[in-house]
Amino acid sequence: MGSLYDFLETNSMYVVMLIVLIIWIGIFGYMWRLDGKVKKLEKEN
Amino acid sequence: MNSILKISILVIISGVIIAGIILPIPFIPALGDKARILYFHVPMSWIAVLAFFMSMYYSIRYLKTRDNDFDVRSYSAASLGFMFCILATATGSLWAKFSWGSFWNWDPRQTSIFILLLIYGAYFALRSAIDSDEQRAKLSSVYSIIAAVTVPFFVFIMPRLVESLHPDPIVNTQGKINMDSTMLSIFLTSLFGFTLLFFWCLNIKVRIERLNLKHLRSITG
Repeated sequence: MGSLYDFLETNSMYVVMLIVLIIWIGIFGYMWRLDGKVKKLEKEN
Repeated sequence: MNSILKISILVIISGVIIAGIILPIPFIPALGDKARILYFHVPMSWIAVLAFFMSMYYSIRYLKTRDNDFDVRSYSAASLGFMFCILATATGSLWAKFSWGSFWNWDPRQTSIFILLLIYGAYFALRSAIDSDEQRAKLSSVYSIIAAVTVPFFVFIMPRLVESLHPDPIVNTQGKINMDSTMLSIFLTSLFGFTLLFFWCLNIKVRIERLNLKHLRSITG
């Protein structure tokens, strides 16, 4: 447990960066899919 | 919007996240690493201002042409502007917790953005209160123009008139940009990337609203 704490403490910036990147890639993926779905609906209409 | 542009948005913003969080920044008294919020918080408020002005532009176009598509665009721009305004408030508030000790302390910046949120909140209340399409488009266009006129006052003028704890704006009172060159380049890239992202969001939102309108009209005849 102590080693995990030390790891997070020394690499906190990298951990933050990784979390922000994961969230951003998630948002991007959602928008990409939404764009595709809207395109499909536009073709159907 | 083509796929190359979308991929470039992904690359630019990912680059900003990596460089903005990892690259060292010069020592800034009282701010330290918390100054990195600049890369994310300032683009949010810049986009909110841009979106509100775009909403005003489309409202004027609507009032001139009475083309309903301009109303759809004006509404979409205002709703995205509202979302980015909330994001700017939330990121600023988080920063305030660690710099000033509390999430909300009615600093002139916080008060002015709160009033701005109320003004645009009333815009959506107004839209939802009117049943007739034409009447709604007309009234909300007029409201959007009046609301956008207040934006420069609340974002740029009021926080400079009153004593505030908010760090110096990017362009300081002497009208000069006072920033380290690495920070400035990441910041400008971030502004560019988030602006592109906003236009993509706007494109999707407008298309969804058009489909929505078409669907509603097909139901009601």
